Formats: sequence, C-alpha cells, structure tokens
Amino acid sequence: MNRDKNLPLTETVYYILLALADPTHGYIIMQRVEELSNGQVRLAAGTLYGAIENLLKKGFIIAVPSTDARRKIYVISATGKQLLYADYQRMNHMLNITSKIFEKEMIEND
Amino acid sequence: MTKFKFFADFDKEEKWLGKMAEQGYQLKRVFLCYKFNSTQPERAIFKIDYRTFKNDQDFLDYCTLFEDSGWQHIAGTKQSGSQYFKKTGPEGDADIFSDLSSRAGRYKRLSYMWLSLSTAWLPLLIIMLTSDWIRIGGFLNPKTLYYTPGLWEMEGLNFWRHFLFETPFALFRGFLVFFWIAIVLLYAFSAIKSWWLYRKTLNENI
Repeated sequence: MNRDKNLPLTETVYYILLALADPTHGYIIMQRVEELSNGQVRLAAGTLYGAIENLLKKGFIIAVPSTDARRKIYVISATGKQLLYADYQRMNHMLNITSKIFEKEMIEND
Repeated sequence: MTKFKFFADFDKEEKWLGKMAEQGYQLKRVFLCYKFNSTQPERAIFKIDYRTFKNDQDFLDYCTLFEDSGWQHIAGTKQSGSQYFKKTGPEGDADIFSDLSSRAGRYKRLSYMWLSLSTAWLPLLIIMLTSDWIRIGGFLNPKTLYYTPGLWEMEGLNFWRHFLFETPFALFRGFLVFFWIAIVLLYAFSAIKSWWLYRKTLNENI
C-alpha cells in the first residue's frame, strides 16, 4: 500500500492541525497545543511561525478572513483533515496491534 | 552609539547584545551597523530570527505573534532578514525556538540569501573575464591597460594630460575584476559558513 509521504506526522504538526479544527490565530494555537498535549508540547513563536508557513505551503491549513488586522486566522483544510485522520488511523493500528501482542504474551506467561 | 561588527553566528550576536544591554546600551536599529540608545543597565535576553516578508500584512502578523508570546520586535524590517527580539517579561518562553530544526532553519535561510547574492554577481564576472574590456594580467604590465593610441610616444604636458585622463579607466580595467572576484568569493564563503552552522545546529543537543 502506498502511504502518503507526509506520514507519520511529527507531534508538533499533529497538535497544530488538531488545534486548527476551529479557526484561530497564532497565539491561541500555542495555548491550545499546550492544553491538548497536557502541557507536553510547548511551541515557541519562531517555531510555530515556521510550522504555519510550511503547512500553508503544503495546503494542509488555509488562511481565512480576519477581523483583526494584526493577526491572521487559520483553519485546517479538507486535505489537512484527511492527513490528520490517516495519521490517527496509523497510530490506532499501532495501539491495537501492540495490545493484542501484549495480551497474548500475558496469557502465555500465566 | 554606533558599532560596526559582523557576526556569522546568531548565538554569539545574541549574547553580545545582552552584554551591551548590561552596560546600558539598548539596541535601537540595525542597518549596516548597530545603533544603540543609552539607557539604564539591565539584564535582558535577545534572540534573532532570519526571515524576509512578501508584504506588510505578513510582517505585522509575524511581529504580533512574537509580541503575544512575550517578545518585543526591536529591530529589523520587512526585507532586512535579521529580526531582533527582546524578551519582555519574566514569564513566557526562554527562547523563540522550541525545536532544533527551526533553530537551525534560520541559518539555512541565511545561507540561501548569501548564495543568491553570490550567483547574482557571477554573470557579470564571467562577462568581464571573457570580454576584453578587462585585463586580468594587466597589473603585471600596466602599460597595456592604457588604450590611447600613441600614448607612450607622446612627450611633456601632452603625455601627462592623456596619461592622467586615462588612469582611472586603466585602474578600472586592471583591478575591478579582482574586486569583483573578492565579492563573489566573500558571498560564497558566507553561504558555506551559514550552511556549516545550519548542520552544526541540527546536530546539537538541547
């Protein structure tokens, strides 16, 4: 099976895409990512700016009209959603297969 | 106060700006040189990003994102490349980058800028080397740099008049090409140096 070459997503990109399920601007993305990751992923401004630029270029997020002239608003695109879901399924498969093997081992060891 | 200094390494430049602030010199502007305001000495953290922007809107959005997260934009313009930030409060992030690839990325963009400058000067250099309005070996035999017919047979005032008139052109023919080569090599060297810093930063451990 041919897999999208953008997979697997980095933790940072995964959380940014997730944070952009609802349209918002840069600083709120930082706060949402920190919240969603239970404080595990903290993005600094320069790193987030580069990530946003890259995601825009690849078309996984898009800019939407903003009422605030100083802050651009972004939202995940349709291809971005597909990609995020594909990575979710990839990880889900890993979790399932791991728990299956672990359970089998535990039964054998009993 | 004005200071002339050149840094290839952003980390060293950031530390130097911190030292200047400790001595009471606050960075105000950077264009060919560093301009400082005299202020109260203070401990401050400075960080530098390297980016250029297509329009004012993008630049404003960029500066606002940094301001929102505790970094004041103190120097740099839409097209200047180097963007200087100063930490505004005790809370907030200690750096403007949170991973190695983005920390290193600024050197990659800087390297591409030097490379494009170097290649921009290259075509004219090739034209100079292949056309005959420039003489590479001319400085070995300066007489050949003078094109005025019969100049070396002239005498007295007539000779000096023609000689001095043509001297600037002769210098241009003989030495401009070396100046040009130096510029291209300097840019190429800077591109390599930045690329080296890019690779080095990527391999660092936080």
